[in-house]
Amino acid sequence: MSEARVMPTDKKGRRRVVISGAGFITPIGNDWAGVASSLREGRHGFERVEFFGNPNVPVKVAGTVKDFVVESMNWRDWKWPARYEIARETLRGLAPHGVYAICAIDQAAEHAGLARGALANDDATGLYCASAGSAMMLHGHLGQMDRTRGERGNPMGVVSSISGTLNFNLAAHYKITGSVCGFVSACASGSHALGYACDDIRLGRLNRAVVVAGEELNAETLLPFAAMRALSPQSDPNVASRPFDTARDGFVGAGGAVALILEDAETAAARGARALAEIAGWGQAADGHSVAMSHPEGRGLANAMKRALSDAGADAGEIDYINAHGTSTPVGDRAEALAIKTVFDTNKKQPRISSTKALTGHPLSLAGAMETAFCVLAMNEGFIPGNPHLVNTDPVCEGLDLPRETLNERPRLVLNNSSGFGGSNVCHVLRAVG
Amino acid sequence: MSPQQPDANPSEKLSRYEPEVREAYARYRETGDVDAVQIVIIAMVREHLPKPSDAPITDEQKLVEDLGYDSLAVAEVVFAIEDTFGLRIETSEIMQISTVGSLKEFIAKKLGPKNE
Repeated sequence: MSEARVMPTDKKGRRRVVISGAGFITPIGNDWAGVASSLREGRHGFERVEFFGNPNVPVKVAGTVKDFVVESMNWRDWKWPARYEIARETLRGLAPHGVYAICAIDQAAEHAGLARGALANDDATGLYCASAGSAMMLHGHLGQMDRTRGERGNPMGVVSSISGTLNFNLAAHYKITGSVCGFVSACASGSHALGYACDDIRLGRLNRAVVVAGEELNAETLLPFAAMRALSPQSDPNVASRPFDTARDGFVGAGGAVALILEDAETAAARGARALAEIAGWGQAADGHSVAMSHPEGRGLANAMKRALSDAGADAGEIDYINAHGTSTPVGDRAEALAIKTVFDTNKKQPRISSTKALTGHPLSLAGAMETAFCVLAMNEGFIPGNPHLVNTDPVCEGLDLPRETLNERPRLVLNNSSGFGGSNVCHVLRAVG
Repeated sequence: MSPQQPDANPSEKLSRYEPEVREAYARYRETGDVDAVQIVIIAMVREHLPKPSDAPITDEQKLVEDLGYDSLAVAEVVFAIEDTFGLRIETSEIMQISTVGSLKEFIAKKLGPKNE
């Protein structure tokens, strides 16, 4: 039990929302300790990949998920770490990233000190999911429909593939009765799930929320981004993901799932749970600019940051660390650098800034939730992740503090940025506890 | 609409089943042996139990009440049987099946005495 207490309400009289548990299935580690070690040491999770056995595919490196086998469409072929139990009645409806998600939630619940079954049937726990669905499963099921000219279809085809697959399956698996919903704002989805979960707790609709985001790493999910020329063609895992570097040339795809347990501060305190961080505020704003490209000056992202700071009742100058969206694309990183400069006065104390996608790659729907969990971890472990692949900083970043090495500084107030297709920008402010 | 033909190489579909189930299926394919079909059907019913069990499965058992099947599991096992035997089973026909015995009987009737 922590000595650190969080007041039940904030300055605006709203219920405070704390994060009491985190679970990680990521390219850089499948638990808190593994992720902490990778982040602190700047160790990436990339491996060489070859899709379709075709060396001509221009995607050579990816942020792979280790210790899982989920390449097949048939759940009977899947393997996952033995410490997680997933019953057949659940498996039959899952997509591969659903397996990651269950492992992440079980881990987060255990981390939060919640007994098995504590999430079930209480009318006060909600489930907030971020997932784009499973392109692989959808492809397979629709292929069967085509081959049989519409006469045949797998009974689990819908629930295992469309973009609500996480919500459908996990709500049933965990017997969630508070609320269940899903978010599909591409690379901002995880942050949207977190924001709306936070609001529902603040508003007193729920006492607890499970926020989970997941993404698959396979040809069906990733290669369509190659067609957009959004992916790095590099074959060297050490240089492929270089956010804010002049030589950055696209993002590196990644998969996994991350879960966070959110609780209102009183609920967490009443059961003696340790608050790992407080979600002090969040904000969102849209670019109104392009279907896929960031606004050139990051207008929407800047507004989202301002709104998050305002919601948190914090001044820009109080922020110690920004976990940037920084995907390593030429246009996106530039827009984000300009947006940060709009909000943070470069003549005053600057927050440290890094993009942990240098180590993980970009896991799309998962990004916002994963990076929030990284921030929570960094606040509790007392360090700020660096930018280990940054060699020549883009001049657009002049005046911004982008450390290359990990800093042994405990950030107390952190901003996490996310941006998705269609100009969807979501930012969160996290406050350290204790 | 014409029924599906069984796959040219069905062994792949049954690759997860015990050797005696695969042998029974091969025997059915060669001879139309209805008893062999029963062995395959029982194995498929067991494979699609939402909660796995090694307990014996008997003809009298009801899929839903006794074996814990839900409507999705019923749809799944019917889908697998259709695929394996090249049958087409209508939803209205599924509604008539309640016990393991009635499922076996229904499939046997669908296949006919010799499905050559």
